[in-house]
Amino acid sequence: MNHRSGFGVQVLLLAALYLFLYGPILYVIYVSFQIDSIWPFPPTLTLEHHTDLWQRRDYHAALWNSVTIGFGTGLIATLFATLAAMAILKYRSPGSGLVAGLFLAPLFIAPILIGISSLMFSRTVLGMPGSIFGATLANSTYATAFALLVVLAQFARYDWRLDDAAMVFGARPWRTFWEITLPITWPAMLGAFIVSFLLAFNNLEISFYNLGATPTLPTLAWGALRHGISAELYALAAIINFAVFALFTVLYLLLRLGTIRID
Amino acid sequence: MSNTVRFWLMVLPGTVFLVVFLLLPLIAIVVFSFWRTESYTLIQDWNLDNYATIFSHSAYLTFLARALVMATCVSLVCLAYAWPVAYFIVRYGGRYRLILLLSTAAPFLTGEILRVAALQQILGPIGVVNMALTRFGFDPIEALMYSNMATGTGLVYLWLPFMVLAIYLSLLNFDFALLDVAKITGAGPLRAFVEVTLPLNRAGTAIGIVLVFIPTLASATTSQFLGGPDGALYGNILARQFGSTGTWALGSAMGVVLFLASALALVIVWRAVGDLRRSGIVIKGAPKP
Repeated sequence: MNHRSGFGVQVLLLAALYLFLYGPILYVIYVSFQIDSIWPFPPTLTLEHHTDLWQRRDYHAALWNSVTIGFGTGLIATLFATLAAMAILKYRSPGSGLVAGLFLAPLFIAPILIGISSLMFSRTVLGMPGSIFGATLANSTYATAFALLVVLAQFARYDWRLDDAAMVFGARPWRTFWEITLPITWPAMLGAFIVSFLLAFNNLEISFYNLGATPTLPTLAWGALRHGISAELYALAAIINFAVFALFTVLYLLLRLGTIRID
Repeated sequence: MSNTVRFWLMVLPGTVFLVVFLLLPLIAIVVFSFWRTESYTLIQDWNLDNYATIFSHSAYLTFLARALVMATCVSLVCLAYAWPVAYFIVRYGGRYRLILLLSTAAPFLTGEILRVAALQQILGPIGVVNMALTRFGFDPIEALMYSNMATGTGLVYLWLPFMVLAIYLSLLNFDFALLDVAKITGAGPLRAFVEVTLPLNRAGTAIGIVLVFIPTLASATTSQFLGGPDGALYGNILARQFGSTGTWALGSAMGVVLFLASALALVIVWRAVGDLRRSGIVIKGAPKP
Protein backbone atom coordinates (compact mmCIF):
# COMPACT_ATOMS: atom_id res chain seq x y z
CA MET A 1 0.00 0.00 0.00
CA ASN A 2 1.64 3.23 -1.05
CA HIS A 3 1.35 6.51 0.79
CA ARG A 4 -1.39 8.12 -1.34
CA SER A 5 -3.78 5.20 -1.26
CA GLY A 6 -3.27 4.85 2.50
CA PHE A 7 -4.21 8.49 2.86
CA GLY A 8 -7.32 8.00 0.74
CA VAL A 9 -8.43 4.98 2.75
CA GLN A 10 -8.06 6.96 5.98
CA VAL A 11 -10.11 9.86 4.63
CA LEU A 12 -12.82 7.38 3.64
CA LEU A 13 -12.74 5.73 7.08
CA LEU A 14 -13.05 9.09 8.81
CA ALA A 15 -15.94 10.12 6.56
CA ALA A 16 -17.64 6.76 7.20
CA LEU A 17 -17.20 7.27 10.95
CA TYR A 18 -18.91 10.65 10.86
CA LEU A 19 -21.70 9.18 8.72
CA PHE A 20 -22.08 6.31 11.21
CA LEU A 21 -22.13 8.67 14.20
CA TYR A 22 -24.25 11.45 12.77
CA GLY A 23 -26.49 9.59 10.29
CA PRO A 24 -28.86 8.22 12.95
CA ILE A 25 -28.94 11.56 14.78
CA LEU A 26 -29.69 13.59 11.65
CA TYR A 27 -32.29 11.03 10.60
CA VAL A 28 -34.09 11.30 13.96
CA ILE A 29 -34.13 15.09 13.66
CA TYR A 30 -35.53 14.76 10.12
CA VAL A 31 -38.19 12.26 11.19
CA SER A 32 -39.30 14.46 14.10
CA PHE A 33 -40.61 16.95 11.51
CA GLN A 34 -42.39 14.33 9.38
CA ILE A 35 -46.04 13.23 9.52
CA ASP A 36 -45.26 9.60 8.66
CA SER A 37 -42.45 8.62 11.02
CA ILE A 38 -42.00 5.07 9.67
CA TRP A 39 -41.43 5.81 6.00
CA PRO A 40 -41.07 9.59 5.79
CA PHE A 41 -40.48 9.80 2.04
CA PRO A 42 -41.29 12.00 0.24
CA PRO A 43 -41.00 14.56 3.05
CA THR A 44 -44.22 15.96 4.53
CA LEU A 45 -43.30 18.68 7.01
CA THR A 46 -45.13 19.08 10.30
CA LEU A 47 -44.48 20.62 13.71
CA GLU A 48 -47.14 18.43 15.30
CA HIS A 49 -44.76 16.13 17.21
CA HIS A 50 -42.90 19.08 18.67
CA THR A 51 -46.03 20.91 19.78
CA ASP A 52 -47.38 17.65 21.26
CA LEU A 53 -44.19 17.28 23.25
CA TRP A 54 -44.35 20.82 24.62
CA GLN A 55 -47.87 20.19 25.87
CA ARG A 56 -46.88 17.12 27.87
CA ARG A 57 -46.76 18.23 31.54
CA ASP A 58 -44.68 15.22 32.66
CA TYR A 59 -41.87 16.23 30.31
CA HIS A 60 -41.78 19.71 31.84
CA ALA A 61 -41.17 18.33 35.35
CA ALA A 62 -38.61 15.87 33.97
CA LEU A 63 -36.77 18.63 32.10
CA TRP A 64 -36.51 20.68 35.29
CA ASN A 65 -35.21 17.66 37.26
CA SER A 66 -32.61 16.90 34.57
CA VAL A 67 -31.45 20.51 34.55
CA THR A 68 -31.14 20.45 38.35
CA ILE A 69 -29.03 17.27 38.29
CA GLY A 70 -26.93 18.62 35.42
CA PHE A 71 -26.33 21.96 37.13
CA GLY A 72 -25.49 20.44 40.51
CA THR A 73 -23.15 17.90 38.95
CA GLY A 74 -21.54 20.58 36.79
CA LEU A 75 -20.77 22.74 39.83
CA ILE A 76 -19.48 19.89 42.04
CA ALA A 77 -17.38 18.23 39.33
CA THR A 78 -15.88 21.51 38.06
CA LEU A 79 -15.00 22.68 41.57
CA PHE A 80 -13.25 19.45 42.62
CA ALA A 81 -11.57 18.93 39.25
CA THR A 82 -10.29 22.51 39.09
CA LEU A 83 -8.84 22.42 42.60
CA ALA A 84 -7.21 19.05 41.97
CA ALA A 85 -5.81 20.02 38.54
CA MET A 86 -4.30 23.23 39.96
CA ALA A 87 -2.75 21.37 42.87
CA ILE A 88 -1.35 18.66 40.59
CA LEU A 89 0.20 21.05 38.06
CA LYS A 90 1.27 23.78 40.44
CA TYR A 91 2.91 21.82 43.24
CA ARG A 92 4.08 18.67 41.39
CA SER A 93 3.75 16.79 44.67
CA PRO A 94 4.64 13.07 44.88
CA GLY A 95 0.98 12.43 45.78
CA SER A 96 -0.15 13.65 42.34
CA GLY A 97 -0.22 10.20 40.75
CA LEU A 98 -2.35 8.75 43.52
CA VAL A 99 -4.81 11.64 43.42
CA ALA A 100 -5.07 11.56 39.61
CA GLY A 101 -5.66 7.81 39.83
CA LEU A 102 -8.52 8.25 42.28
CA PHE A 103 -10.11 11.07 40.27
CA LEU A 104 -9.89 9.14 36.99
CA ALA A 105 -10.95 5.78 38.50
CA PRO A 106 -14.65 6.25 37.56
CA LEU A 107 -13.62 5.97 33.89
CA PHE A 108 -12.66 2.36 34.61
CA ILE A 109 -15.80 1.49 36.55
CA ALA A 110 -18.96 0.60 34.63
CA PRO A 111 -21.64 3.31 35.07
CA ILE A 112 -24.18 0.69 36.15
CA LEU A 113 -21.88 -0.32 39.04
CA ILE A 114 -21.63 3.30 40.17
CA GLY A 115 -25.44 3.40 39.96
CA ILE A 116 -26.21 0.31 42.01
CA SER A 117 -23.43 0.79 44.56
CA SER A 118 -24.47 4.37 45.34
CA LEU A 119 -28.11 3.22 45.53
CA MET A 120 -27.25 0.51 48.07
CA PHE A 121 -24.95 2.83 50.02
CA SER A 122 -27.32 5.78 50.35
CA ARG A 123 -30.33 3.59 51.08
CA THR A 124 -28.73 1.27 53.62
CA VAL A 125 -25.87 3.21 55.16
CA LEU A 126 -27.04 6.82 54.89
CA GLY A 127 -30.73 5.96 55.25
CA MET A 128 -31.46 8.25 52.28
CA PRO A 129 -34.13 7.13 49.83
CA GLY A 130 -33.74 7.93 46.14
CA SER A 131 -33.75 11.63 45.34
CA ILE A 132 -32.43 14.23 42.93
CA PHE A 133 -29.76 15.00 45.51
CA GLY A 134 -28.53 11.40 45.59
CA ALA A 135 -28.54 11.20 41.80
CA THR A 136 -26.52 14.44 41.63
CA LEU A 137 -23.87 13.10 44.02
CA ALA A 138 -23.58 9.78 42.15
CA ASN A 139 -23.31 11.53 38.79
CA SER A 140 -20.69 13.88 40.20
CA THR A 141 -18.28 11.02 40.91
CA TYR A 142 -18.41 9.99 37.25
CA ALA A 143 -18.39 13.52 35.83
CA THR A 144 -15.41 14.65 37.95
CA ALA A 145 -13.19 12.30 35.92
CA PHE A 146 -14.22 13.96 32.65
CA ALA A 147 -14.00 17.43 34.15
CA LEU A 148 -10.46 16.70 35.35
CA LEU A 149 -9.41 15.60 31.84
CA VAL A 150 -10.75 18.83 30.33
CA VAL A 151 -9.17 21.09 32.97
CA LEU A 152 -5.83 19.26 32.99
CA ALA A 153 -5.53 19.49 29.20
CA GLN A 154 -6.15 23.23 29.31
CA PHE A 155 -4.22 24.07 32.50
CA ALA A 156 -1.15 22.33 31.11
CA ARG A 157 -0.79 25.41 28.89
CA TYR A 158 -0.98 27.89 31.77
CA ASP A 159 2.26 29.31 33.10
CA TRP A 160 2.18 28.93 36.88
CA ARG A 161 5.05 31.38 37.24
CA LEU A 162 2.37 34.06 36.83
CA ASP A 163 0.97 32.96 40.19
CA ASP A 164 4.44 33.12 41.72
CA ALA A 165 4.92 36.60 40.30
CA ALA A 166 1.66 37.76 41.90
CA MET A 167 2.73 36.25 45.21
CA VAL A 168 6.10 37.97 45.01
CA PHE A 169 4.27 41.28 44.69
CA GLY A 170 2.42 40.47 47.88
CA ALA A 171 -0.89 38.99 46.69
CA ARG A 172 -2.40 36.36 48.98
CA PRO A 173 -3.38 33.01 47.41
CA TRP A 174 -7.07 34.00 47.08
CA ARG A 175 -6.29 37.32 45.48
CA THR A 176 -3.84 35.60 43.12
CA PHE A 177 -6.59 33.22 42.12
CA TRP A 178 -9.25 35.91 41.57
CA GLU A 179 -7.06 38.43 39.79
CA ILE A 180 -4.59 36.27 37.86
CA THR A 181 -5.50 32.58 37.59
CA LEU A 182 -9.26 32.82 37.11
CA PRO A 183 -9.34 35.60 34.49
CA ILE A 184 -6.89 33.59 32.37
CA THR A 185 -8.14 30.04 32.87
CA TRP A 186 -11.95 30.46 33.05
CA PRO A 187 -12.56 28.92 29.61
CA ALA A 188 -11.18 25.60 30.90
CA MET A 189 -13.52 25.67 33.88
CA LEU A 190 -16.56 26.59 31.82
CA GLY A 191 -15.63 23.79 29.40
CA ALA A 192 -15.43 21.30 32.26
CA PHE A 193 -18.79 22.54 33.53
CA ILE A 194 -20.43 22.05 30.11
CA VAL A 195 -19.09 18.51 29.77
CA SER A 196 -20.16 17.45 33.27
CA PHE A 197 -23.53 19.18 32.94
CA LEU A 198 -24.28 17.30 29.71
CA LEU A 199 -23.08 13.95 31.08
CA ALA A 200 -25.36 14.22 34.13
CA PHE A 201 -28.27 15.79 32.23
CA ASN A 202 -28.41 12.88 29.79
CA ASN A 203 -27.30 10.10 32.12
CA LEU A 204 -29.51 7.06 32.50
CA GLU A 205 -27.55 4.23 34.09
CA ILE A 206 -26.31 6.12 37.14
CA SER A 207 -29.32 8.39 37.68
CA PHE A 208 -31.93 5.66 37.21
CA TYR A 209 -31.02 3.77 40.40
CA ASN A 210 -30.62 6.86 42.56
CA LEU A 211 -33.73 8.79 41.62
CA GLY A 212 -36.46 6.80 43.33
CA ALA A 213 -39.71 7.82 41.64
CA THR A 214 -38.43 11.20 40.40
CA PRO A 215 -38.59 11.41 36.60
CA THR A 216 -35.85 12.91 34.42
CA LEU A 217 -35.79 13.22 30.63
CA PRO A 218 -33.64 10.08 30.14
CA THR A 219 -35.79 7.96 32.49
CA LEU A 220 -39.01 9.19 30.83
CA ALA A 221 -37.49 8.42 27.42
CA TRP A 222 -36.47 4.99 28.71
CA GLY A 223 -40.03 4.33 29.86
CA ALA A 224 -41.48 5.56 26.58
CA LEU A 225 -39.04 3.49 24.53
CA ARG A 226 -40.18 0.32 26.30
CA HIS A 227 -43.56 0.80 24.64
CA GLY A 228 -41.91 1.24 21.28
CA ILE A 229 -40.51 4.38 19.78
CA SER A 230 -43.06 7.17 19.52
CA ALA A 231 -43.35 10.43 17.66
CA GLU A 232 -42.79 12.67 20.69
CA LEU A 233 -39.59 10.72 21.44
CA TYR A 234 -38.26 11.80 18.03
CA ALA A 235 -39.10 15.39 18.89
CA LEU A 236 -37.36 15.05 22.26
CA ALA A 237 -34.29 13.47 20.65
CA ALA A 238 -34.20 16.23 18.04
CA ILE A 239 -34.33 19.00 20.64
CA ILE A 240 -31.77 17.41 22.99
CA ASN A 241 -29.37 16.71 20.13
CA PHE A 242 -29.73 20.26 18.93
CA ALA A 243 -29.04 21.62 22.42
CA VAL A 244 -26.03 19.34 22.87
CA PHE A 245 -24.52 20.52 19.61
CA ALA A 246 -25.13 24.15 20.48
CA LEU A 247 -23.31 23.67 23.80
CA PHE A 248 -20.63 21.67 22.04
CA THR A 249 -19.94 24.54 19.70
CA VAL A 250 -19.50 26.76 22.76
CA LEU A 251 -17.14 24.15 24.22
CA TYR A 252 -15.09 24.10 21.01
CA LEU A 253 -14.79 27.88 21.00
CA LEU A 254 -13.74 27.83 24.67
CA LEU A 255 -11.06 25.22 24.02
CA ARG A 256 -9.86 27.19 21.02
CA LEU A 257 -9.80 30.36 23.06
CA GLY A 258 -8.00 28.28 25.66
CA THR A 259 -5.72 29.76 28.21
CA ILE A 260 -3.43 32.61 27.33
CA ARG A 261 0.03 31.28 26.80
CA ILE A 262 3.02 33.28 27.85
CA ASP A 263 6.30 31.92 26.61
CA MET B 1 2.62 26.64 54.76
CA SER B 2 4.65 24.26 52.66
CA ASN B 3 3.72 23.30 49.13
CA THR B 4 2.93 19.73 50.21
CA VAL B 5 0.38 21.00 52.72
CA ARG B 6 -1.13 23.32 50.10
CA PHE B 7 -1.31 20.42 47.64
CA TRP B 8 -3.21 18.19 50.04
CA LEU B 9 -5.52 21.03 51.13
CA MET B 10 -6.52 21.63 47.52
CA VAL B 11 -7.11 18.00 46.59
CA LEU B 12 -8.79 17.22 49.92
CA PRO B 13 -12.40 18.19 49.04
CA GLY B 14 -12.50 16.06 45.89
CA THR B 15 -10.62 13.20 47.50
CA VAL B 16 -12.99 13.04 50.47
CA PHE B 17 -15.96 13.27 48.11
CA LEU B 18 -14.73 10.39 45.92
CA VAL B 19 -13.81 8.23 48.89
CA VAL B 20 -17.25 8.71 50.47
CA PHE B 21 -19.43 8.56 47.36
CA LEU B 22 -17.43 6.25 45.09
CA LEU B 23 -15.15 3.97 47.11
CA LEU B 24 -17.34 3.43 50.20
CA PRO B 25 -20.38 2.46 48.06
CA LEU B 26 -18.22 -0.05 46.17
CA ILE B 27 -16.99 -1.48 49.47
CA ALA B 28 -20.60 -1.53 50.69
CA ILE B 29 -21.76 -3.79 47.87
CA VAL B 30 -18.89 -6.16 48.61
CA VAL B 31 -20.19 -6.36 52.20
CA PHE B 32 -23.84 -6.71 51.13
CA SER B 33 -22.92 -9.48 48.70
CA PHE B 34 -22.32 -11.69 51.76
CA TRP B 35 -25.74 -10.83 53.28
CA ARG B 36 -29.17 -11.94 52.17
CA THR B 37 -32.41 -10.24 51.17
CA GLU B 38 -35.82 -11.12 52.51
CA SER B 39 -38.98 -9.42 51.23
CA TYR B 40 -37.12 -6.38 49.90
CA THR B 41 -34.95 -5.91 53.03
CA LEU B 42 -31.24 -6.57 53.48
CA ILE B 43 -30.50 -8.85 56.42
CA GLN B 44 -27.07 -9.05 58.01
CA ASP B 45 -26.61 -12.79 57.94
CA TRP B 46 -23.13 -13.62 56.65
CA ASN B 47 -23.18 -16.32 53.99
CA LEU B 48 -21.81 -17.30 50.60
CA ASP B 49 -25.18 -18.27 49.09
CA ASN B 50 -25.25 -15.41 46.58
CA TYR B 51 -21.95 -16.49 45.07
CA ALA B 52 -23.05 -20.13 45.19
CA THR B 53 -26.18 -19.12 43.25
CA ILE B 54 -24.18 -17.27 40.61
CA PHE B 55 -21.64 -20.04 40.08
CA SER B 56 -24.02 -23.01 40.29
CA HIS B 57 -26.75 -21.75 37.98
CA SER B 58 -25.48 -21.99 34.46
CA ALA B 59 -27.81 -19.13 33.44
CA TYR B 60 -25.74 -16.47 35.24
CA LEU B 61 -22.48 -17.80 33.83
CA THR B 62 -23.99 -18.01 30.35
CA PHE B 63 -25.01 -14.36 30.49
CA LEU B 64 -21.56 -13.44 31.78
CA ALA B 65 -19.89 -15.44 28.99
CA ARG B 66 -22.13 -13.75 26.41
CA ALA B 67 -21.21 -10.35 27.79
CA LEU B 68 -17.52 -11.26 27.69
CA VAL B 69 -17.76 -12.34 24.04
CA MET B 70 -19.73 -9.21 23.20
CA ALA B 71 -17.26 -6.91 24.99
CA THR B 72 -14.29 -8.60 23.31
CA CYS B 73 -15.80 -8.30 19.82
CA VAL B 74 -16.88 -4.68 20.36
CA SER B 75 -13.42 -3.72 21.72
CA LEU B 76 -11.68 -5.34 18.73
CA VAL B 77 -13.95 -3.63 16.20
CA CYS B 78 -13.43 -0.28 17.96
CA LEU B 79 -9.69 -0.88 18.07
CA ALA B 80 -9.44 -1.70 14.37
CA TYR B 81 -11.55 1.28 13.42
CA ALA B 82 -10.24 3.87 15.85
CA TRP B 83 -6.56 3.42 14.99
CA PRO B 84 -6.61 4.69 11.39
CA VAL B 85 -9.09 7.41 12.30
CA ALA B 86 -7.08 8.75 15.26
CA TYR B 87 -3.87 8.42 13.24
CA PHE B 88 -5.32 10.43 10.41
CA ILE B 89 -6.62 13.18 12.69
CA VAL B 90 -3.29 13.60 14.49
CA ARG B 91 -1.07 13.30 11.42
CA TYR B 92 -3.04 15.23 8.82
CA GLY B 93 -5.61 17.16 10.89
CA GLY B 94 -3.37 20.21 11.27
CA ARG B 95 -5.38 23.15 12.56
CA TYR B 96 -8.60 21.13 12.27
CA ARG B 97 -7.43 18.46 14.73
CA LEU B 98 -9.52 19.69 17.65
CA ILE B 99 -12.75 20.04 15.70
CA LEU B 100 -12.24 16.64 14.02
CA LEU B 101 -11.66 15.00 17.41
CA LEU B 102 -14.52 16.76 19.19
CA SER B 103 -16.85 15.76 16.35
CA THR B 104 -16.22 12.10 17.14
CA ALA B 105 -16.96 12.75 20.83
CA ALA B 106 -20.02 15.00 20.56
CA PRO B 107 -22.63 12.22 20.11
CA PHE B 108 -21.38 10.66 23.35
CA LEU B 109 -22.78 13.56 25.33
CA THR B 110 -26.34 13.14 24.02
CA GLY B 111 -26.79 10.20 26.36
CA GLU B 112 -27.21 6.49 25.90
CA ILE B 113 -30.98 6.32 25.68
CA LEU B 114 -31.37 8.83 22.83
CA ARG B 115 -28.55 7.23 20.87
CA VAL B 116 -30.21 3.84 21.26
CA ALA B 117 -33.53 5.34 20.18
CA ALA B 118 -31.84 6.83 17.12
CA LEU B 119 -30.31 3.46 16.25
CA GLN B 120 -33.60 1.61 16.70
CA GLN B 121 -34.95 3.97 14.09
CA ILE B 122 -32.26 2.80 11.66
CA LEU B 123 -31.84 -0.88 12.52
CA GLY B 124 -35.18 -2.11 13.90
CA PRO B 125 -37.77 -4.12 11.97
CA ILE B 126 -39.45 -0.87 10.96
CA GLY B 127 -36.11 0.92 10.83
CA VAL B 128 -35.24 2.81 7.69
CA VAL B 129 -32.77 0.21 6.35
CA ASN B 130 -35.23 -2.68 6.34
CA MET B 131 -38.14 -0.46 5.29
CA ALA B 132 -36.10 0.65 2.30
CA LEU B 133 -35.17 -2.94 1.43
CA THR B 134 -38.78 -4.16 1.52
CA ARG B 135 -39.94 -1.08 -0.39
CA PHE B 136 -37.58 -1.87 -3.22
CA GLY B 137 -38.51 -5.54 -3.24
CA PHE B 138 -35.60 -7.03 -1.30
CA ASP B 139 -35.75 -9.24 1.77
CA PRO B 140 -35.21 -7.43 5.06
CA ILE B 141 -31.91 -8.18 6.83
CA GLU B 142 -32.81 -10.30 9.86
CA ALA B 143 -29.44 -9.72 11.52
CA LEU B 144 -30.19 -6.01 11.90
CA MET B 145 -33.32 -6.34 13.98
CA TYR B 146 -33.26 -7.37 17.60
CA SER B 147 -30.11 -9.44 17.45
CA ASN B 148 -26.65 -9.58 18.97
CA MET B 149 -25.43 -7.97 15.77
CA ALA B 150 -27.68 -4.98 16.46
CA THR B 151 -26.52 -4.79 20.09
CA GLY B 152 -22.89 -4.97 18.94
CA THR B 153 -23.45 -2.19 16.42
CA GLY B 154 -25.11 -0.10 19.13
CA LEU B 155 -22.22 -0.63 21.54
CA VAL B 156 -19.61 0.28 18.93
CA TYR B 157 -21.68 3.38 18.23
CA LEU B 158 -21.71 4.29 21.93
CA TRP B 159 -18.11 3.64 22.95
CA LEU B 160 -15.97 4.09 19.80
CA PRO B 161 -15.32 7.77 20.73
CA PHE B 162 -13.45 6.61 23.87
CA MET B 163 -11.08 4.48 21.81
CA VAL B 164 -10.48 7.31 19.31
CA LEU B 165 -9.81 9.73 22.17
CA ALA B 166 -7.34 7.43 23.95
CA ILE B 167 -5.33 6.67 20.80
CA TYR B 168 -5.49 10.33 19.74
CA LEU B 169 -4.03 11.51 23.06
CA SER B 170 -1.30 8.90 22.80
CA LEU B 171 -0.40 9.83 19.21
CA LEU B 172 -0.22 13.53 20.14
CA ASN B 173 2.99 12.73 22.02
CA PHE B 174 4.36 10.50 19.29
CA ASP B 175 7.25 11.81 17.25
CA PHE B 176 6.32 11.12 13.63
CA ALA B 177 9.92 11.82 12.58
CA LEU B 178 10.65 8.31 13.85
CA LEU B 179 8.68 7.01 10.86
CA ASP B 180 11.03 8.82 8.49
CA VAL B 181 13.93 7.15 10.28
CA ALA B 182 12.21 3.78 9.82
CA LYS B 183 11.66 4.53 6.15
CA ILE B 184 15.26 5.59 5.57
CA THR B 185 16.52 2.45 7.24
CA GLY B 186 14.40 0.42 4.84
CA ALA B 187 11.16 -0.41 6.66
CA GLY B 188 7.93 -0.49 4.63
CA PRO B 189 4.82 1.28 5.98
CA LEU B 190 3.44 -1.91 7.56
CA ARG B 191 6.70 -2.83 9.24
CA ALA B 192 7.17 0.76 10.46
CA PHE B 193 3.69 0.63 11.99
CA VAL B 194 4.16 -2.75 13.66
CA GLU B 195 7.65 -2.05 14.94
CA VAL B 196 7.58 1.67 15.68
CA THR B 197 4.17 3.32 15.83
CA LEU B 198 2.20 0.60 17.60
CA PRO B 199 4.76 -0.28 20.29
CA LEU B 200 5.34 3.36 21.16
CA ASN B 201 1.59 3.93 21.54
CA ARG B 202 0.80 0.66 23.28
CA ALA B 203 -0.14 2.28 26.60
CA GLY B 204 -2.70 4.58 24.95
CA THR B 205 -4.04 1.65 22.94
CA ALA B 206 -4.36 -0.48 26.10
CA ILE B 207 -6.20 2.34 27.89
CA GLY B 208 -8.55 2.63 24.90
CA ILE B 209 -9.31 -1.11 24.95
CA VAL B 210 -10.05 -1.06 28.68
CA LEU B 211 -12.18 2.09 28.41
CA VAL B 212 -14.37 0.33 25.82
CA PHE B 213 -14.31 -3.15 27.31
CA ILE B 214 -15.43 -2.26 30.84
CA PRO B 215 -18.66 -0.36 30.08
CA THR B 216 -19.49 -2.79 27.25
CA LEU B 217 -19.17 -5.78 29.58
CA ALA B 218 -21.72 -4.15 31.91
CA SER B 219 -24.06 -2.82 29.24
CA ALA B 220 -27.77 -3.22 29.89
CA THR B 221 -29.69 -0.48 28.08
CA THR B 222 -28.34 -1.17 24.60
CA SER B 223 -29.05 -4.90 24.69
CA GLN B 224 -32.45 -4.25 26.27
CA PHE B 225 -33.63 -2.18 23.31
CA LEU B 226 -31.59 -3.58 20.41
CA GLY B 227 -30.95 -7.18 21.45
CA GLY B 228 -34.46 -8.61 21.34
CA PRO B 229 -35.84 -11.48 23.45
CA ASP B 230 -32.65 -13.60 23.31
CA GLY B 231 -30.28 -10.69 23.48
CA ALA B 232 -30.08 -10.23 27.27
CA LEU B 233 -26.58 -9.74 28.62
CA TYR B 234 -25.16 -9.91 32.15
CA GLY B 235 -26.00 -6.25 32.77
CA ASN B 236 -29.70 -6.91 32.10
CA ILE B 237 -29.84 -9.71 34.67
CA LEU B 238 -27.90 -7.54 37.12
CA ALA B 239 -30.33 -4.64 36.63
CA ARG B 240 -33.26 -6.99 37.23
CA GLN B 241 -32.06 -7.74 40.79
CA PHE B 242 -32.51 -4.07 41.65
CA GLY B 243 -35.84 -3.75 39.88
CA SER B 244 -38.76 -6.12 40.03
CA THR B 245 -37.20 -8.97 42.03
CA GLY B 246 -35.60 -6.77 44.72
CA THR B 247 -32.89 -9.32 45.49
CA TRP B 248 -30.25 -6.76 46.43
CA ALA B 249 -27.78 -9.10 48.08
CA LEU B 250 -27.65 -11.32 44.99
CA GLY B 251 -27.44 -8.19 42.83
CA SER B 252 -24.53 -6.94 44.93
CA ALA B 253 -22.73 -10.25 44.47
CA MET B 254 -23.35 -10.01 40.70
CA GLY B 255 -21.92 -6.50 40.82
CA VAL B 256 -18.81 -7.77 42.60
CA VAL B 257 -18.38 -10.54 40.00
CA LEU B 258 -18.73 -7.94 37.25
CA PHE B 259 -16.14 -5.73 38.93
CA LEU B 260 -13.73 -8.65 39.26
CA ALA B 261 -14.25 -9.60 35.61
CA SER B 262 -13.45 -5.99 34.60
CA ALA B 263 -10.39 -5.97 36.83
CA LEU B 264 -9.24 -9.26 35.31
CA ALA B 265 -9.65 -7.82 31.81
CA LEU B 266 -7.61 -4.81 32.87
CA VAL B 267 -4.82 -7.05 34.15
CA ILE B 268 -4.84 -9.19 30.99
CA VAL B 269 -4.63 -6.15 28.71
CA TRP B 270 -1.87 -4.67 30.85
CA ARG B 271 0.05 -7.95 30.80
CA ALA B 272 -0.31 -8.08 27.01
CA VAL B 273 1.18 -4.60 26.84
CA GLY B 274 4.04 -5.70 29.05
CA ASP B 275 4.61 -8.78 26.90
CA LEU B 276 4.71 -6.58 23.86
CA ARG B 277 7.53 -4.71 25.48
CA ARG B 278 9.39 -7.88 26.48
CA SER B 279 8.89 -9.53 23.11
CA GLY B 280 11.46 -7.16 21.69
CA ILE B 281 9.12 -5.31 19.36
CA VAL B 282 10.81 -2.06 20.27
CA ILE B 283 13.34 0.00 18.44
CA LYS B 284 16.64 -1.72 19.05
CA GLY B 285 18.87 0.20 21.36
CA ALA B 286 16.13 2.47 22.63
CA PRO B 287 16.09 2.73 26.41
CA LYS B 288 13.32 0.61 27.86
CA PRO B 289 10.93 2.63 30.01
